Amino acid sequence: MTYNLLAARGLTVGYGATPVIHDLDFDVPQGRFTAIVGPNGCGKSTLVKSLARVLATEPGMVTLDGKHVQAYRPRRLAQRVALLPQHPTVPEGVTVRGLVARGRYPYHGALRQWSPQDTPAIDQALNDTGLTELADMPVAALSGGQRQRAWLAMVLAQQTDYVLLDEPTSFLDIAHQVDVLRLCRNISNQGRTVVAVLHDLNQAARYADDLVVMRDGAIVAHGRSDTTLTSSLVSDVFGLDSMIGVDPCSGTPMVVPVAD
Amino acid sequence: MTQQQTKVFTIGETIAVLYQRRHVVLWTILAALILVLGIVTLVAGKLGIGMGDIIALFGGESSPTATFVLENLRGPRLLVAILAGAAFGLSGALFQTVTRNPLGSPDVLGLAAGAGAGVAVVSLFPTGLPTPIGALAGAGVAIGLVAIATGSGFTSPSRVILAGIAVAAMATAITQFVVTATLRDEASRLAAYLVGSLNARDLGHAGLICLALLIALPLLIVLNPRLQLMELGDELATSLGGKATTTRTWAIVASLMLAAMAVAVAGPIAFIALMSPHAARMLTRSTGPNLVTSALVGAVLLVLADLSVQQLPVLDGLPVGIITAGFGGIFLGYLLLREFRKGHA
Repeated sequence: MTYNLLAARGLTVGYGATPVIHDLDFDVPQGRFTAIVGPNGCGKSTLVKSLARVLATEPGMVTLDGKHVQAYRPRRLAQRVALLPQHPTVPEGVTVRGLVARGRYPYHGALRQWSPQDTPAIDQALNDTGLTELADMPVAALSGGQRQRAWLAMVLAQQTDYVLLDEPTSFLDIAHQVDVLRLCRNISNQGRTVVAVLHDLNQAARYADDLVVMRDGAIVAHGRSDTTLTSSLVSDVFGLDSMIGVDPCSGTPMVVPVAD
Repeated sequence: MTQQQTKVFTIGETIAVLYQRRHVVLWTILAALILVLGIVTLVAGKLGIGMGDIIALFGGESSPTATFVLENLRGPRLLVAILAGAAFGLSGALFQTVTRNPLGSPDVLGLAAGAGAGVAVVSLFPTGLPTPIGALAGAGVAIGLVAIATGSGFTSPSRVILAGIAVAAMATAITQFVVTATLRDEASRLAAYLVGSLNARDLGHAGLICLALLIALPLLIVLNPRLQLMELGDELATSLGGKATTTRTWAIVASLMLAAMAVAVAGPIAFIALMSPHAARMLTRSTGPNLVTSALVGAVLLVLADLSVQQLPVLDGLPVGIITAGFGGIFLGYLLLREFRKGHA
């Protein structure tokens, strides 16, 4: 039963000679919203990309249901695991619906560019992201926040168990950051597993179920988001002296730098 | 708005093709244009076949002169123009999509220059190997050198382009050497080849390029949806199951193969590969590689250019490559200006 699992074992990944991640083990928590946090360059993005098989992982491996992801046919894996990278390219002139439709590729065949489930899946994804009204707009005409919603809709249309997001809130203003995090929360509440690389510790603690804290290519802490953050951890990982307060709205931990 | 009119054409469970009505209308118009230009090519001028003879051809009975012109003079030339134009168009569309470089095409990559050098070297042999073989060999060597020089095959677009420029320069040097070293009439024949000419083509040439297109067809059918995915960036394409690296390699291989065969039968005709995808995108106003449209546009452009060198008194007898180079140069200037404006908007 517990076999339905995305996991990394002995993962070592790197661009060139020095590995960014070294001998890392990670079980993605099922059906939960996990935030990966850590300083710049600690291997957060590398980890999510490896989990989605976008980066080659030798030695070490990523398994899904106990089977090496490299052994899956690419489209079959893409029906289970979705990744939204940090800087996807918007095709020139594409509409919102056109973009979301690209998320259906894993369900097509060499000669079959369409499946009957496409239309309901696309409509559902547009609805879940509140983009139904904007479906026929060119993506280029959307605001930054709306555009990020469109990308999330594309990933939703992929209808995967796992949704991996690489810094989905970067370059958005605070209102749109919260908007995206609420959306992640909703996706997770639908029963899907969400893993997102986030920068803001307070947002991570508030919206995610679990926190994974990384430093220098290794996981240094992994646990429930309301108990994992401590001032010694923040000091260890980020080199910042801080106190842990309480979020006045949600009661979740809040990192506050100490007085200067 | 374009996506809204996307329709699905299905045959059973295994085949489902997406299309837009707009595109189908456009393809019909372009095909009709090729037909009209083709008929004009056969009919016009001194040696033109009469309209009556054209109709009679389908009935089987026509005059011996008409049959001769059709089978030996204008027919093969027209076929080569259509097929090579389509091959150039496809080649450019594939190349520009996977390199994400709107100003790239295999001619830039040293392929055309390599083919030229091949023909030049072959002309040195007194026995006289057929020109297409020299062109193919030259193009092959140039591609091989590019693949070796990048150190990573065709996976990195920017390396391919840089290596291509270097290989093109070397090939041009060889060609120049042969042209200066050989006899005058040989050199002038060579010069005509080097700009690209459709003079004196036979059915063998047409067969060769037709074969290349038939070989490429299944590959293009499989590649087309994946190419569309490539527009999202390599990481997203890969995570969607699109195998970005494999797709890029195969698209470049197909692009080079088509361009090499087109260059072998028609000579290094300039700018058709570069222009067709742009013209196609302007006409369809939609994303994606626009393969079918690019092929049709390529055919229209080359047939039109060849018709004009055959019939316009001013251009009489010039190699068709000079016309395409002239118009292509203007078009390239326009593209550069547009990219420049975009960058500074």
